[in-house]
Amino acid sequence: MLHLSDQTQLILAALVYTPVVIMHLTKRNRAAVSLYILQSSAIALLLISSLFDKFSLLLLLAISATVAVKIFVAPYFFNNLTRRHRLRFSVSTYLNTPLSLLVIAALFSLSQSSFLAALVFMPESSDRLLRLAFASMLTSLFLCINRKGALSQMLGILSLENSIVAFALFAGLEQSPGLQLGITFNILIWVIIATVFASMIFRKFGSLDVTAMKRLKG
Amino acid sequence: MALLVLIISPLIAALASLAVRKRIFWLETIAAVAASVEVMAAVTTSVTVYRQGEATFGSFLATGPLEIIVLMTVAVIGLAASFYSIGYLREEVRKQIIGFSRVRQYYVLMHLFLLAMFFAVNTTSPIMMWIAIEATTLSTAFLISFYGKAASMEAAWKYLIINSIGLLLGFFGTLLFLAPETSGGIDRFIDWRMLVESTPYMDPSLIKVAFIFVLIGYGTKAGLVPMHTWLPDAHSKAPSPISALLSGSLLNVALLAIVKFRIIADAALLSPFTRNAMIFFGLISIAIPAFIIIAQNNYKRLFAYSSIEHMGIITLGFGFGGLATFGALLHMIYHSLAKSTLFFCAGNTFLKYSSTKMLKVKGVLSSLPVTGIILVIAFLAITGVPPFGIFISEFYIFSAGSENFLPVVIGALFLLLLVFAGFLKHVVGMSLGEDAEPVAAGELNLLTVVPPVSLVVLLTIAGFYLPGPIRELIDSAATLINR
Repeated sequence: MLHLSDQTQLILAALVYTPVVIMHLTKRNRAAVSLYILQSSAIALLLISSLFDKFSLLLLLAISATVAVKIFVAPYFFNNLTRRHRLRFSVSTYLNTPLSLLVIAALFSLSQSSFLAALVFMPESSDRLLRLAFASMLTSLFLCINRKGALSQMLGILSLENSIVAFALFAGLEQSPGLQLGITFNILIWVIIATVFASMIFRKFGSLDVTAMKRLKG
Repeated sequence: MALLVLIISPLIAALASLAVRKRIFWLETIAAVAASVEVMAAVTTSVTVYRQGEATFGSFLATGPLEIIVLMTVAVIGLAASFYSIGYLREEVRKQIIGFSRVRQYYVLMHLFLLAMFFAVNTTSPIMMWIAIEATTLSTAFLISFYGKAASMEAAWKYLIINSIGLLLGFFGTLLFLAPETSGGIDRFIDWRMLVESTPYMDPSLIKVAFIFVLIGYGTKAGLVPMHTWLPDAHSKAPSPISALLSGSLLNVALLAIVKFRIIADAALLSPFTRNAMIFFGLISIAIPAFIIIAQNNYKRLFAYSSIEHMGIITLGFGFGGLATFGALLHMIYHSLAKSTLFFCAGNTFLKYSSTKMLKVKGVLSSLPVTGIILVIAFLAITGVPPFGIFISEFYIFSAGSENFLPVVIGALFLLLLVFAGFLKHVVGMSLGEDAEPVAAGELNLLTVVPPVSLVVLLTIAGFYLPGPIRELIDSAATLINR
């Protein structure tokens, strides 16, 4: 359980959600990575606050590993990728900006609707937080689908993961430190492999635009 | 102890392969020995499960009748794929398509892939199962892009992204399932048994949402329509032994995750919600591939689409319940054997013709006499022609389903007819006819022939005779699911 004031939790939930929305709008890869760092920092604060509830060395280790991977390692790999291949600007989206914003608004409305009442299984005080975290999940998923850049897709997936972690923390569904370490290790390996792949794709296709990949059909 | 061996053996094999310098022979030896040890450990575990109902190692690894079915398919297909890999990669090295470092990379990743699958099946923790299934994605991504060509890079990227998204949704569903146990924070592992025990405290509305996320998440990995789009690309671009493992083993592991959550959801919901969801996904997973199979022009993609169709049949069987569950479990086994055989045949054909286009492959029966015959037998088996096992398992599924879901059964049988017609057209075209550019007749080497022959013999025997203990294990697993 998180021992933070409702207002602080709401600010942190907004810090998880808002960066994803801005990721949809930003054209610069660097900015997108910085937004991911901001989102991850909010998750880190949430995780650290859970330490005050039940301190253990293993939990401290799990949280430190999560913070290290999300705030330092993943951004380092992504920035390295953009620097090495001079990818200052991200590629375009399938929907234009106004349409993308409309979809984001629709997803936000969906997350606030009674349709998802089943997901808000916690006391009323967590209602807004869970809905915001779920809106963040949907918007991250939309980022993966709408963006044509491989880097944006990777950031979308990591943002989706952050949103799920935020949901779990707001709902009090934290996992044991051992499992948290396992999940973090998984993310680390994922980041490394995805970055290597992105690099290979750039070398093969001369771009990180996934629409350049159209050899497989049927 | 045998369970621990199943985890340690591929781990040691991966590390040992990594340490090998220069000689491919040692990589082959390690693969052969490790796969043999794993099959022996799997058989030992099966005997324990048969006698005691469960095999455990500490509180972290456990296997019951349901898990052992999947475990055996992973181990047996793993053994066949390991031996086939030796013959297949020797041929690729001979043709100078790959060198030593690539071969070593292949074996290391294959062992890690097997390790992840064994762990996913045996772990008692739903979260660890998720981690292990995600690990299968990470270990196989580089195997799919093994040849480094643009198309295989594309397939691997698609595989990585779609499966990662799918599995994250599955992770979310898993967390929701754990809600009654974890609310308030925990500092212990939650296992499947605890989840079953907590079903009376589960919120039915939440469990419905959770099951949908799990079905979509792990359904992505199992290749269920409409989350299947990565599968034909990945299975067709990977080296053939890996395609066999992906189709014959990994899909079963993903289905196992769905079935395990389904057992919990059913206990919590006491309504036909999961049944309806599985019937829906099962039916569309038969329908879409059925039409694509007819128009297919690439034989590896043909087999990949066939895997989607069979995952649909199995899901439909689990959806129908009752005797159909028994049929679905049986179908998992038969499909694994038949599909792996087909991918081995695809590998031999590719090595001979250097193409996966069916238009360029004619007269396999004369150019590859043994492979050609196996291809025809495996085609008959996979399309459910009697007396092969798939006919029997489909008979169980559809006869049980016809009691309550006659329109669904009629629709599915019509689609299976389409699949048969499509397969027949393609396989006849490949097996008979004359080549525009004749190729030298003869098999490539013994190790590319023995694994598919062994599997097809096993498949044929299993169609006629299923040993009592195996039947009892399947029966116990079906009872567990239907409870």
